[in-house]
Order: sequence, then structure tokens, then C-alpha cells
Amino acid sequence: MNTRYLVLAGLLVTLLMGCRKDYEAPVPYTFSNMTGSGKFPTAIRQAINGVYTVTDGSDKFGAQVVLRWTYTHNGADTSHHLSVFTSNVGYFDMEPQPQTGGLAVGGYWRRLQDTEIGLVQLTVNVRRSGVVSPFTGRLATGDTLVVSGVYGDGDVTPTKRLTMTYARPLNPRPFSILAHRSGGRTSDLLPASENSVEIIKMASRLGATGIEIDVRYTKDGVPILYHDNTLNLRLIQKNGLAGPIEAYTYQQLNTLVRLVNGERIPTLEEALQTVVDETDLSFVWLDTKYIGSMQKVQTIQQTYLQRAKAAGRSLQIVIGLPSDDAVSLYRALPEKANTPVLCELDTSITRSINANIWAPRWTLGDQRAEVNAMKAEGRTVFVWTLDEPQFIREFIDQTRFDGILSNYACVVAYYHYSQQ
Amino acid sequence: MRRPGIYFPQAPIPGRWRKSIGAIFTTTPPELTEEIRVNVPAIDFNLQRGISKNWFITGRILTQVVQSNVGVGVRYARPLTDRLFISAGDDMHVWFGVLQIKDVFNSQAYGLQNFPNVSVGYRFTRDVQMTLKCEAILDAYYKSQVGTLAIERNAIRYNGLAVSVVIEQPLYGKKHVSLGLRAAYSNFNWQLWSLYDTFDRNLFYPQLIFGFIL
Repeated sequence: MNTRYLVLAGLLVTLLMGCRKDYEAPVPYTFSNMTGSGKFPTAIRQAINGVYTVTDGSDKFGAQVVLRWTYTHNGADTSHHLSVFTSNVGYFDMEPQPQTGGLAVGGYWRRLQDTEIGLVQLTVNVRRSGVVSPFTGRLATGDTLVVSGVYGDGDVTPTKRLTMTYARPLNPRPFSILAHRSGGRTSDLLPASENSVEIIKMASRLGATGIEIDVRYTKDGVPILYHDNTLNLRLIQKNGLAGPIEAYTYQQLNTLVRLVNGERIPTLEEALQTVVDETDLSFVWLDTKYIGSMQKVQTIQQTYLQRAKAAGRSLQIVIGLPSDDAVSLYRALPEKANTPVLCELDTSITRSINANIWAPRWTLGDQRAEVNAMKAEGRTVFVWTLDEPQFIREFIDQTRFDGILSNYACVVAYYHYSQQ
Repeated sequence: MRRPGIYFPQAPIPGRWRKSIGAIFTTTPPELTEEIRVNVPAIDFNLQRGISKNWFITGRILTQVVQSNVGVGVRYARPLTDRLFISAGDDMHVWFGVLQIKDVFNSQAYGLQNFPNVSVGYRFTRDVQMTLKCEAILDAYYKSQVGTLAIERNAIRYNGLAVSVVIEQPLYGKKHVSLGLRAAYSNFNWQLWSLYDTFDRNLFYPQLIFGFIL
């Protein structure tokens, strides 16, 4: 073939292959990190928690949403955030705005499956006999809360109307909403990187009541949070380092490596300290990604279970066993008392090690008989890692699992809290 | 004059068949398989039959045993000059997959996709011809089941587009081959149904095409 034809074909191929699009979803809102609840004391926050019907804005956020307050601690201070969870894989993250008259919140909304994001400003009002007035904290019979305001796209000043009217309280049934990778995947363009301290602090605002974190050892034996086998640009900023993370000491990783949003790779202890001291999370699943003794992780698990207990926190920390190798590491522990574990393998292995929790893959389906049997034996049953929104609804409505691990905690939260 | 080809936009002689067998290798996007990069091979069988001077029907089977894709279509092709050819057509494909793996999968899924397409072909020499094919990818139906739980989507929606560049030429003697690249930018790729991709963004699926024209 003539050389020029080959060159032409090569150019066409290069053109076709060189067009991979980079997606971004920068948050257009800067949080004040105001402490205290401002004009939103406990009674008002509790009154606002609920399932709402959406009128203005339903084309964007669906006909129904869930509103729920969460908090994080910073020392003696507490910051409160109001989240909205939507059926179309969206969430709002809003903080009180005391400078605005009335009960006002502001922040941003995001749809996790794509890059849609925008600002939102809302006020809380009450409808009484058809008249809407600012909510002052007292609800009389027949009063209805109306949370309304404006939202926008990107960083433009919001102008589109959004009206949400209280419909009913949140479903009170206990259910674990477990966020994958400490809160969510980096590939979903969240404001914080997966397996970082920052995403742990965000997890409850994303809908989670618990988190799953990936534990590995550094070269010098420090348990850290990291998912992949290697340092790669999917998870970290460009720095010239590559290869297995176990080939680097903690000092090297701490000094030279930053996660994609600029955070440090945290140690397991830093992560659990954050959970205990700064969040309202009630469950931590330590996924075993390492090869080597489980003893260090067990010691840390027990230390932070004691610290949580001392702090009056109802917190479970369990070691996840995803493979036969991990089960062997667990069996090799000299002392297994006070070491709650979660088994991802079949029911016979779960029974043989007397795991507190059984967690099969969601792709195995409802597994009705097995779930019923495990629950009858007093075990908790979770399913992982389920992200497909329609299947999340099916699992919540049709099965007896006690919790779902998902990259989209906001969807699990929406379907769980809105279930009637 | 007709030369052996499957992608080149020229109808077979009415009543005659054209066939090819080969393989397509699809590279998985990092958004789905993260640090693992997988090249998924599929057996690719094409069958075409001329029904008039310009019209022909197409059939295609792609299979990886546990998941397969069967398509039929119709195409109109005509020469613009003695070297330049064009075609327009529409293909309807059904795909289906079943995965039964202990402790991992009890899943199955199937769906319908439609591919309106246009091709431009240029015959460089008597034996070498190049085709640029553009396809829209439309999802028409999707059903997935895990255990006894099932979900279904039956709204027709735009899924993405694909551009292919294929060279067809002799390999040795009178045997001809198709060799090309297909760049698909789509929201859903049937070959990766079992990953249950939830991104509502078009991802890049590069594919290497190789086929022996029989």
C-alpha cells in the first residue's frame, strides 16, 4: 500500500483515539464552616427531616425528595448540614445561612452520575390555611412545612424556582446505608477523594450511616487507606511515583503523594479517629486489601471500639473478609475475642468462623432462603456494592437485607427513608 | 467492479452472499474497570446478501459464549465516482448475557439496540479500499435480572455514537481481510453489561476489528 495512505489512516486513527473526554464537576459553593446550629435548634431540625413532594423543580429533582439534617464535630464545635436526597442520584449539601432573614440554608446540588451541579438557596416556611409564612419553630395542627427557594446550574446565580412540601416523616426502620470507599468513588467527581479523611467527614451528608474503607499496609507496616494495587493517576496527582503502594514507606507516601483532590493518604488510625471524633457514622467496614498479619488492624479496631464506647458512641467497626486468604488471616489471629468480622464468602464459611455479618454480592440476587436463615441465626446481612438505582429500590422494597453498600449512598438514603 | 469487502459501501451482486469471520477486541474504559485494563475479545461473523443493484441486507453475530449479540440490517449503497462510494442503513441488534458463577453472579440481561449508519468508501487502488463508517447508537430496550429481582427500561434513548475506519485489502493471494478501528463513545456497552455501569456519561470504547473475508 502506498505510504501516504498509511499515514492518512494513521492520522484518522489518532484523531479517533485521542478524543477521550475529561469530566469535571467543581463545587460552586464555599462553605463557611460555621459552627453551631444558628437559627436551627434541635426541634426545628427534627421538624424539617422528612419526605417532601416537589412541585417547582420536579423536572430536575423528581416528584419526591428526602430532607435530612446531619452534623460533624470539630473539637467542641458542631456544624450542621441539611441534605436533600433525590431519586435521580442527586444530593444537596446545604448549611444554615444566619445572615439571611428567616430560616435560610444555602449550598449546592449535584447529580452524581454526570457532571450536573449548581447553587441552591432555600428558606423554610409554614403553610397555614393556604397562607405561607416564615417558620418560627412551632407547628400547629394542619400546618405544613414548605421548603422553597431557587436553584441554578453551574456557578451562575440561582433563579429557577424549587418548592418542596412536607409529606410525611422519614421511614424509621433501622437500615444501614454504607458508603463505599469512605463515602464515594473518585470517579463520581465528588469534592473529596475516595478513602480520604475529607470524604469520611462528608459521608453522612451524602446519605451514609456507615462507611466501607480499604485497608492496605505500607512497606513499613502502617495500615493506610487506599483501594488500588498500585499508585496511579486514577487516584493520585501526578508525581512520577508508580508501582505497588506496599513498595513505599508511610513517610514517603505522606510526603510525596497526594490524592486527586489534594488530600494526604490517611492512616487507618487517622480515619477511625475522624469517625469517632467528628462524625455521626455508626458503622465502619474495614475491607481487607492487604496480605500479611491481621493483628495490627485488629489492635486498631479494638482501640477505636473502646474509644467510641468511652465517647458514648454506638459505633460498630468490623473487619471485612472478602477472600479465602483474608479468612485465613483471620483464622490465624491468636485471639479473636472482641473482633467483629463481616464475611463476604458463602454462608457455610460465614458460619464456620461465626462472623457477625454476612455480606454477599448483590449480583447474586435476593437469596431469600439464605438471608432468612442467616437472620434467624442472629446475623446481620448486607449486600455489596449496589449502585444501580432501580435495583437499589428493588432490594429495599423486596428483600430483607439489613443494609446496602453503595457508591450512591444518596440513592439508598432516598429509597430507604421514603419507603412507606 | 466489486472487490471483496464487508465494510466497503458497495452492495453485493443481487442474490450473492458475502461473509467474513474474525474478532473484535474491545478495551474497557478506566472509569469502569479502574486500574485493570481488559481487552475483551469477541468472535465476529458477518453475512451480507445483495437484493438489488443498490440494496443489500446485513447480518452479524458477535459472541463471547456467555454473552452474544445478533443483528440484522438493511443498507442502500451507490457509487459517486468509480473510486468513491457511499451507503446509508439501519441495523437492529439484540444482545443477551447470562452469568452463573458461584458466590459471584446469578445474573442475566438482554436488550435491543439500533444503529442508523452511513459509510463513505474510497478505493485507492484495485485492491485496497478504505471505509469511514459513522453510527448512532440508540437503546431501545433493556432488561436485567439478579436472582428473582428484575428491572426493565423500555424508553428509546440516544446512547452514543461510533466512528470506524476500516481498510480492506488482500492478505495473501486472493484472500482479503478487514482491518480497522472503531471508536465508540457511548453511555452503555452491551459487552460490559455485567459491570452495571451507572455513569450517565459517554465513555470511550476503542475496538480493534479484524476479519477474514470468506
